[in-house]
Amino acid sequence: MRLNRRAFVSATALSALAALAPIRAIAQSTGPIKLGTLTPLTGAGGPYGPVMAAAAKAVADQVNAAGGVLGRTVEIISEDDQTNPEAGVRAARKLIDVDGVQAIMGTWASSVTTAVAPLCWESQIALATVSGADTITQLPHQGYLFRTQPNTALQGRKFGEFAIEQGAARVFFMTPQTPFVESQFGAIKAAVEAAGGHVDLLVYDDKKSSYRSEIDEMLAFNPDMLVLGGYTPDTTVLLKDVYRSGFGGKLLAFAYSVNQKLVDELPADVVEGIFTISPSPAEGATGYSELSQLINVTSPDTYTAQVYDQINLILLAIAVAGTASGTAIKDDLRQVSQNPEGVEVANAVDGLQALAAGQAVNYNGASGPCDFDAIGDILDCQFRYEQVKDGTLTWLKTA
Amino acid sequence: MIPLIQAILNGIMAGSLLAIPAMGLTAMFAVLRYANFSIGALATIGAFAAWYANTVFGWSEIPALIAAFVVAALVGMLVEQLALKRLRPAGALTVAIASIAASVLLENVVRFIFGNDLRAFDTPLVRDWFFWGLRVGPQQLQNVIIAVVIMALVFGFLSLTRYGKAMRAVADNPDLARIYRMDPQKIAMATVALGTGLAGVGGMLLGLDSAIEPMTGSRLLLPIFAAAVLGGLGSIPGALLGALIIGVGEEISLLFMPATYRSAIGFVVILLVLSMRPQGILGERR
Repeated sequence: MRLNRRAFVSATALSALAALAPIRAIAQSTGPIKLGTLTPLTGAGGPYGPVMAAAAKAVADQVNAAGGVLGRTVEIISEDDQTNPEAGVRAARKLIDVDGVQAIMGTWASSVTTAVAPLCWESQIALATVSGADTITQLPHQGYLFRTQPNTALQGRKFGEFAIEQGAARVFFMTPQTPFVESQFGAIKAAVEAAGGHVDLLVYDDKKSSYRSEIDEMLAFNPDMLVLGGYTPDTTVLLKDVYRSGFGGKLLAFAYSVNQKLVDELPADVVEGIFTISPSPAEGATGYSELSQLINVTSPDTYTAQVYDQINLILLAIAVAGTASGTAIKDDLRQVSQNPEGVEVANAVDGLQALAAGQAVNYNGASGPCDFDAIGDILDCQFRYEQVKDGTLTWLKTA
Repeated sequence: MIPLIQAILNGIMAGSLLAIPAMGLTAMFAVLRYANFSIGALATIGAFAAWYANTVFGWSEIPALIAAFVVAALVGMLVEQLALKRLRPAGALTVAIASIAASVLLENVVRFIFGNDLRAFDTPLVRDWFFWGLRVGPQQLQNVIIAVVIMALVFGFLSLTRYGKAMRAVADNPDLARIYRMDPQKIAMATVALGTGLAGVGGMLLGLDSAIEPMTGSRLLLPIFAAAVLGGLGSIPGALLGALIIGVGEEISLLFMPATYRSAIGFVVILLVLSMRPQGILGERR
């Protein structure tokens, strides 16, 4: 490559500037408190991201109208991660280095969260995510990361507990090979064995057109309940063979696999009575109805509920710490999310008032109780339980 | 003992369904001398044609089966005419690769028309019969019977009809066949029609048992290919034997191996056969 003199000089100047770039805006103690949302506005997460960002803005407006936090207003800067790790990293860099945000909220895809997380903890910025992959909270994030989405271990526990609740003492888990088989099964096992039950696992090849021999293996265990861990295509094939085998026990599956489409496609006898489980926002909770009013959406989805909780928690943590920085959020998050002595609050405005009055707060939000363990996973959240009755998925309970 | 017998029974039922497309693959290899990988997609096309006839026109299983054969055969001949035939002078490998390309194309055409959703045939689902601690599905048994009848028809066609005999002659010795004024073009097309039609029927029978989607056929390609290679590419009885061995082998493997590795049986068989007895069990001398 040949460079003329002018190009060479400007290239040198540019690279010198680039070397200085990592110096980011130091947490200012005046002016607005800046927080970023990094949600997918385009790509696979596109249907969710815009509402999520709007919910965060609405909370900021609400808080600003009530006088702000620490006497400062809250400013939300929204970026698009395009459901793409590369774009996510670029947008996060912009939020951290250019805008000087103290926290990033709402990363959706696990791949994006995994890519963005190191930037955050290295810059001492809090990262709140709705991604579910177990590995995310195992990153060395030093506490800067927390998530409101249940991981597979929690989901597995719910499956196990539900099986026990249904009176199943012998539970058989059939699943294709997925990255979360181990944690899912481990959690089911722990929950069922704690109640004195027995469990067994069969990992099958999801590309087969018949599962007769696999079913034979399942029948040999004589389970009261069969838990299906697959996706819709293999579950369809499996359910037919389960029906043919005359299996008399109960069936439990993920709501994303036994969906209405599958129910419509299979004969009524095959699908009747199947239970499904999916994570759910805290329908019926104060926080959920407040969010619904705030953004004027009848039943906000779980991700919107989670982002709503994330910004409320972050603002409350800043208020308790008395300073707006990622480290303050990290250190004081649990002071507001799970303080047993605190008064229960469901939005930041109420919480800020309580704090101003010298009370401690315990936030219970739109997505659930929002209590976190040491690595930033939520301890509990609500799940939605449905059952196929007369060919339709019918709501059983949300708990 | 019961689990072993059950596994063998399951294997025979699975294997007899694999046998039909495997016979189609091997017949085309015998006459045309290349492996036509588009039979995976053609099995899907046959399955969708039968599904359409069954659920939209309300045809019962046997007429739907004929629809599967005819549609798959027509598409198969079209692929042969438009793409594969012209490439034949470039060698068997080129044609085989082109057939993979055709397969991807056909699969996506199906996806474009019908979408990615699962489709099930409009047939009642029947509980299995239980006896002596074993269980057999009436539906699967019915599929086995259909498969046996089709195999008998194919054998009859090859040994009794003019075209069948001509195919065997070309397979046996192309040069000699040409001297006897057999038109290799016509025979090639008849073979393609037979082979791809059989693939379509196989796809439908497998779909009857479970459900169909655009990937149905390509998922079966490996065991089909393994069956044909094991029996000896080019030998029709070999394809039948190979399919039964693969079917039974896969099921028996579950008795001592995790189910995740079931598909590995096909790969292992291909590997062993090619390295120890390349001509397969009933294959011709090379």
